[in-house]
Amino acid sequence: MIQFNASLLYTIINLVVFYLLLKKFLFKPVMGIMEKREKMIADGLQNASDTQDEAEKLKAEYEAALTGAREESIQIVDKARVDAKAEYDRILSEADEKAGTMMETAKRTIEAERQQTMNALQSEIAGLAMQAARKIVDEKTENQGNKGIYDQFLEGVGEAHGNTDTD
Amino acid sequence: MDELSCETVFTIPVLGEIKESVVVTWVIMAVIVGLCIIFVRNLRVENPGKFQLVLESAIGWAQNFFEDVMGKENKRYIPYLITVLIYIGISNIIGLFGFKPPTKDINVTAGMAIMSMCLIEYSGIQKNGLKHWVKHFARPVPVVAPIMVLEIVIRPLSLCMRLFGNVLGAFVIMELLKAVVPILVPIPFSFYFDIFDGFLQAYVFVFLTALFMNEEQE
Repeated sequence: MIQFNASLLYTIINLVVFYLLLKKFLFKPVMGIMEKREKMIADGLQNASDTQDEAEKLKAEYEAALTGAREESIQIVDKARVDAKAEYDRILSEADEKAGTMMETAKRTIEAERQQTMNALQSEIAGLAMQAARKIVDEKTENQGNKGIYDQFLEGVGEAHGNTDTD
Repeated sequence: MDELSCETVFTIPVLGEIKESVVVTWVIMAVIVGLCIIFVRNLRVENPGKFQLVLESAIGWAQNFFEDVMGKENKRYIPYLITVLIYIGISNIIGLFGFKPPTKDINVTAGMAIMSMCLIEYSGIQKNGLKHWVKHFARPVPVVAPIMVLEIVIRPLSLCMRLFGNVLGAFVIMELLKAVVPILVPIPFSFYFDIFDGFLQAYVFVFLTALFMNEEQE
């Protein structure tokens, strides 16, 4: 029952062959698949974390850009305000100046007109005075001969008439 | 009594007698390799099938088990240990299918024990170098050196005899029981002696081999 024989050697050979066969047909493919899956999962996780990092970086970038844009817009608005103010001041002063000039011109024109009117009035008054004086003179000379004075008067009027007609 | 003996199945002129245990081993090898070829064909990384899941979880369990015992650096010994586990496990329960278990033949268990011995000593030498391996016999004190040297033989001998004795004992009890009460009564005993004890001995054999390897590497 208990005796050692060639079976011992065959068993060792069998075991080695069995090991090699199983290694080829069972362990290599199955362990390979398991490793591949592990690698795939690890890759997936790595990918996910990479993507997240990238997203965070992009987000920070965008935020920075947004802050910059906001500052820039504030600057632009400020600048525009300053510019508008300057323009406003300029236009206002220009208008002021123009109005001043116009006033001046108007004043001068009025003055000139007044002067003119004054001159006209003066000459008129002088004329009237002359007339009045003449009348008085005429009345004085009435006694000397009414006829002559009438004639004189009529002549004067006729002259004036003639003048107006020719005008 | 002739149930106990290991019969010669046929004789090959040069190689000599081919015993029953060797033939049954061939059958086991053929069946297992055939099943592997069938089920391992369409492995997929994504959406694995049911068989693939079972296969992967079984191998994953065995891998974790041996890694726990020996550590990750001894990964390359794991396929051999799983091979032995499968072989002994199937051998021990093959009595259910009407074959004589090959592990009932002391030549088979001795062969496996010799393989384990080679593996244990090789792993030790490979890990720490020949010098360290020679020196470790004299530790912790030189007095124990003879015992340590004896241990090289004792460890595989204990593996061999434990397996052989268990399977032979279970086989004898089962044969006697079947001879006395052939109907129904052997069923619960068969569950214990053939299935439970069979798998337990397979587990113990590879577990101890892994443990000895780990010990040898220290």
